[in-house]
Amino acid sequence: MVNRAKIKELMNESACSHSKDKKPGAGCDAPKPGMAAGGCAFDGAQISLFPYADAVHLVHGPQTCLGASWETRETLSSYEGRDHTYMGFTTGITTNDVIFGGDKRLEDSLNYIMLHYKPEAIFVYSTCVTAMVGDDIDMTCKLASEKHGVPVVPVHAPGFVGGKNLGSRIAGEAVLEHLIGTKEPAFTTPYDINLIGDYNVTGDMWQYLPLFKKIGIRVLSSMSGDGRVGDIRTAHRAKLNVIVCAKSLVTLCRKMQERYDIPWVSVSFYGKRDTTFAIMEIVNALGNAELIERAKSVIAEEEEKLQELLVPYQKLFAGKKAVLNTGGNKAWSIASGLQDLGIEVVATSIRKSTEDDIEKAKEYLGPTGILMKAPASEQAKIIDERGAHILLAGGRSLYTAIKKKISFIDVNQEKKVSYGGYNGLLNLAEDLKYAFANPVFANVSKKAPWEIA
Amino acid sequence: MEAQTKIELSKREHKPLQVNPIKHSQPMGAALAFMGIQNCLPLMHASQGCASYTKVFYTRHFNEPIAMYNTSVSDITAVLDGGDYSILMAIENITQKNKTLKPELIGLHTTGLTETKGDDVRSVGTHIEIPYCYVNTPDYEGGMESGWALTVKALITQHTNATTQIKQSKILLLPHVSMQPIEVEKVKEFCESFGFFTLALPDLSTSLDGYLSEGQGKLGTGAISIEDIAGLGNCESVITIGSSMNIAAKALVEKNPNIKHLHFNHLMGQDMNDNFVAALMQMRQIQPKPLVKRWRGRLQDAMLDSHFLIGSSHFVITGEPDMCVGMCELLQSVGGTIDAVIATNYSSVLESINAENVFVGDLEDAVPYFAKADLVISNFHAERLLHSQEKHTALMLRGFPNYEELGNQLKNDQLYEGSTYFLFEVANALRHIKHEQH
Repeated sequence: MVNRAKIKELMNESACSHSKDKKPGAGCDAPKPGMAAGGCAFDGAQISLFPYADAVHLVHGPQTCLGASWETRETLSSYEGRDHTYMGFTTGITTNDVIFGGDKRLEDSLNYIMLHYKPEAIFVYSTCVTAMVGDDIDMTCKLASEKHGVPVVPVHAPGFVGGKNLGSRIAGEAVLEHLIGTKEPAFTTPYDINLIGDYNVTGDMWQYLPLFKKIGIRVLSSMSGDGRVGDIRTAHRAKLNVIVCAKSLVTLCRKMQERYDIPWVSVSFYGKRDTTFAIMEIVNALGNAELIERAKSVIAEEEEKLQELLVPYQKLFAGKKAVLNTGGNKAWSIASGLQDLGIEVVATSIRKSTEDDIEKAKEYLGPTGILMKAPASEQAKIIDERGAHILLAGGRSLYTAIKKKISFIDVNQEKKVSYGGYNGLLNLAEDLKYAFANPVFANVSKKAPWEIA
Repeated sequence: MEAQTKIELSKREHKPLQVNPIKHSQPMGAALAFMGIQNCLPLMHASQGCASYTKVFYTRHFNEPIAMYNTSVSDITAVLDGGDYSILMAIENITQKNKTLKPELIGLHTTGLTETKGDDVRSVGTHIEIPYCYVNTPDYEGGMESGWALTVKALITQHTNATTQIKQSKILLLPHVSMQPIEVEKVKEFCESFGFFTLALPDLSTSLDGYLSEGQGKLGTGAISIEDIAGLGNCESVITIGSSMNIAAKALVEKNPNIKHLHFNHLMGQDMNDNFVAALMQMRQIQPKPLVKRWRGRLQDAMLDSHFLIGSSHFVITGEPDMCVGMCELLQSVGGTIDAVIATNYSSVLESINAENVFVGDLEDAVPYFAKADLVISNFHAERLLHSQEKHTALMLRGFPNYEELGNQLKNDQLYEGSTYFLFEVANALRHIKHEQH
């Protein structure tokens, strides 16, 4: 069961930079009624675990939790068996279960899944209602696991305990308690790493994994992009944890360091500089001189290849200025990509960023860059003052682009191609090329015949 | 494939879980209904996730910013609060944060979480100065269609003034949840062409119709105001489209027993539209406008043009009951064979469908029928399933959600006109796959 002490512990991650200034015991802020807008803990937990294609993900709750969320994320998998990430499983509890408890339904559902789908594991997510009525999910999972001989992992992240970030931590906790260390790998190498927090959205991981292979870095397991349950069970034998653009799984990394003595590094694979930096961080942490040399030569080769391909874009984008309004680590990671392409980023939003993100944004944008605390009201003015040519923001800022007659890219929309790694930069460049050339925003800002005096 | 056991139409589930569900929850239907009221602030009494999922769902279906707020129930308030704190604080916080926001109605609806904890959302309303409508929509009961209908009923019960007066030629349309914004507009226009002053509740025709304007997604922008709702008691008639809406019409007739209630299960195909037109003609004692007659002729021509392809084809339809019923009747009127209807929820109207297999289920249940069909009408979730089967089966995307296509809000399947477009779309999709097979 998830208890208060556990939630408190997870909400107060000592490795989080924003916890430094808080009084001991004070955790992340509780949501203010009416003010919480993002996804819930369940959402975060599901996002963190869902890419395991060989496992079935069963949502024990009423209709909204899964009905509105399945098949919404482009987390690609190379799994050759039945890919469960495109499927939705829910107990879809009804009034009877609320009154009499849903354990029987859960047990029957687990039996049904084992009979018809035979997955490598089942993750069972509790939700607000099943947590409130007090279903004994732990026991039902334990018995099912014994009966069927596969891990049946309870994930206690009902939505009301907090936001996505907390849910993601809880998912990490479930994996640590139930999976990691339950199996030995077939073999190990001195260059085994775990990838933590990359969900392989639009195939992001596949942009940089071929480089790992060239260098000789072996991914022992992933949580959870293109991951396998069998691999994550062996994760305790890795030499290094690599956490990718995800603050929330810091807890998992810290605990694995405490429990298994595995150090961790935090990296990002957006843009040329970050990709290079990430690879060097990893090989330096692994500490083998030969590996480091190989990495350097692979990087040099890749950068040269990329630079050649970037030249036409850099010519095209010379002198262009961008305003970036997006949340979290995107505030600097996309900025970094834009700069690699020769675009000046004149402002970025830090409204939803952590202290670390703000530091990085400052570093990337330099002394003349503007860090917007209230982008919705600031961005229009900045576009005028700095003469920006493009706005990269969420759909709500569309109108600003129309009014200012500048180009626009919706960075919050589900993207169809990856911007990750060296090659992802070329995808970003293509999108930008078309965005700059598109006259649509100027066209729809034209006045109607009846508006002209 | 193993021999299929026939699934009967029943209120009881035939298995303990749903695999690849098509059912959507009551709170989602309620939220959409409130978006169809002018300056309504849709407030979901829930943890933040319920509202976030719903918002993303509609944002992607309509490609529009969505007006949706929530009370952010936490583990602590779930236990200690009876709703007073979180609902009142939410309204205060939302209106304080955005001073330009001037809601004329708070549309509060519950969820599984807040129904389980048992909040008295009715009494909370006595502390709110803005007009307030509450509706109980746990997501462990009913579905999107019933959540929408319950909300309409609640709006009428709580806000329409009782009267015995009738204003001649004023009518109210009650559209079912699967009707897209343009469809509501078209049916309204149609009634207006007979000289009726026509209101629709909810009225999404000016809310999620894909219209470019500034400051969208803050409040509902439906074409019916809370004042209009208060004055609905003097309508000459109330017209329900979809059997789910009958409960709302009943609520209106209780406000004024002199209101006539006309019911139509749907407005697809010639027969049902003939009935509809006959009823409107009788009420106004006038002939339809020339364009109405013209469209009937176009529909008949489309029926003849498409009957060969459709008449030799097998169909599977999944979705909300009120949507499925109309599509079945239209396709059958040109000789189509409906192999199976898989509905999201039980509704008595499903009993009226004349097809081999009609039941409540999910896409796991539908897949064996997909493999034999020429064309499937379903939401976007069916797409991947159809891709993975050997047989080429055409897909026509209808119902929520459709993340694959743009312009969902402007798809019109209603009346003579929409039925005509519908038949051509079906026939063209069939021709496409039948060509591939040769």
